[in-house]
Amino acid sequence: MGLRKFSLRAFLKKNFDFIAGVLSEVGLAASIIAVGMLICLLLIAIKSLL
Amino acid sequence: MIPSLTREDLKIIGYNLGRVGNLFSVLMLVPTIVAAAYKEFDIIPHFIAASAVAFILSNLAIYFFHTKNGMELKHAVCVAALVWIFGMLLTAVPLWSTRSTGSYLDANFDTMSGFTTTGLTLIPDIDHLPHSINFFRHYLQFIGGIGIIVVTITVLAKSEMGSVLAFKAEAREEGIRPSVVRTSRMILGIAITFMVLGAVLLAIVGISEGMNVGTSIFDGVAHSMSGFATGGFSTHSQSILFYHSVWYEVVALILIIVGGFNFAFHYTVLSGKRSEVFKNIEIKTFFITLMLSTLIIAAALLFFNVYSSPDTLFRKAFFQAASAHTGTGFATVHPLQMSGVWPNLPQMMIAMIMLLGACANSTCGGIKAIRIGILVKAFFNEIKKTLSPKSAFVREKYHHISDTPLTDTIARGAALIAIGYIFLFFIGTAVTMLYGYGATDSMYDTSSALGNVGLSSGVTSPAMPPGLKVTYIFLMWAGRLEIMAVLALIGFVILALRRGIKR
Repeated sequence: MGLRKFSLRAFLKKNFDFIAGVLSEVGLAASIIAVGMLICLLLIAIKSLL
Repeated sequence: MIPSLTREDLKIIGYNLGRVGNLFSVLMLVPTIVAAAYKEFDIIPHFIAASAVAFILSNLAIYFFHTKNGMELKHAVCVAALVWIFGMLLTAVPLWSTRSTGSYLDANFDTMSGFTTTGLTLIPDIDHLPHSINFFRHYLQFIGGIGIIVVTITVLAKSEMGSVLAFKAEAREEGIRPSVVRTSRMILGIAITFMVLGAVLLAIVGISEGMNVGTSIFDGVAHSMSGFATGGFSTHSQSILFYHSVWYEVVALILIIVGGFNFAFHYTVLSGKRSEVFKNIEIKTFFITLMLSTLIIAAALLFFNVYSSPDTLFRKAFFQAASAHTGTGFATVHPLQMSGVWPNLPQMMIAMIMLLGACANSTCGGIKAIRIGILVKAFFNEIKKTLSPKSAFVREKYHHISDTPLTDTIARGAALIAIGYIFLFFIGTAVTMLYGYGATDSMYDTSSALGNVGLSSGVTSPAMPPGLKVTYIFLMWAGRLEIMAVLALIGFVILALRRGIKR
């Protein structure tokens, strides 16, 4: 009694901004890492050409 | 003219320090739960005794300095500066009494390093520390990272005005929400969300790499606390290098980069304004300086033939650059390899970015990306002014949460803090060199202590001279408080010595 049925849809709808915000920040960090990796790959490619 | 110091001033400072000290006595009881869980029953009395010492000293201060007068900004600045010293002295007790460190001074070095989220350590055998002591070190970084004052405000807030003053004094002037108490609680909420996410991911990676479940969870929680706090303490003397796992490194990288973002930025993005990710001057500056430094470090390591494969180059160059720039101190290169094998150029580059730091209002130390961004914009603004006709009105603005006009006062404030850091960097380097260390190593470790980073080229060790330990404790403290609060406290002491204390 007093317990409401848990609905994933309602939870996601209610916390959409927070969850999307966390994913945006993780995505931003992952993008930064990817660019760092790209720089290393480019340097290796340049060195192999020299 | 600055008014003389009165006895009432001292009472207000002492009384408020006592109130915060009570918080330390409570905080030191938390590791007893970990000690009980790991059946380290011989450690529990050390934490209880340290907690009792903190409780007695704090309540003596409250009793003898009791006052009904509230704090003014000058008191708040002194409390904000002294609370780190008070906290360091109190929390060093269990590290010293359990003989985890060689001396009480070494224990103080480690607790200051913990509170300021630096990550330098003088503990000789980290790999064999009891779990509860290891937890305590990482927990100190988490508490220090979200700000002792923020925690204090959250728990002990008596008046909104006192909170505002303490908040400003701890170099966290930028409010997120109208109420400072609510801001502090929001910071705590954001930190715990990312800490839990990081701990779960690190534990999963640890288990999938074949480590046992218990160790994976413990290491995950510990590294998540010190990673998001950009602290850099590790449960292993080899830091993240211990795991030899690319996924562990990637998760740690995400955690430390997110930890390097501004709390106001976190709040804005988590509130639904996700476009801030692309507009914020601080994020742009951090991205550009991190990529430039990665380029220089990786190029130097590649062309001096230190590393030749792309994955090793990325895992060594980018990881060290990100760890240094966010002020974390996690390492995938051993200090001896750093000082013995790495050429001087990447070491100097890392020393420079350690001084820069990531975003303001985050868990990082250093000059901070927003100030660098403002100074670069002000620099170009000056060139524009010089090239424009005399009658032209050149106006510049920057975007950080909202559009802000770039005024001379903002640029001057950023320049003053940057000059302060550079001045202390030269002093620290000179002192280290006077003790006989080489120039590059001296710059590296001084920058690491001042920027609250934690990477070391080998200078920081239990064998370093006591005078240098005290110097680095001072640098960590001054760096965390962005120098101004420390200078104000020194001014307060000089005032008291010259004019005496009035009734």
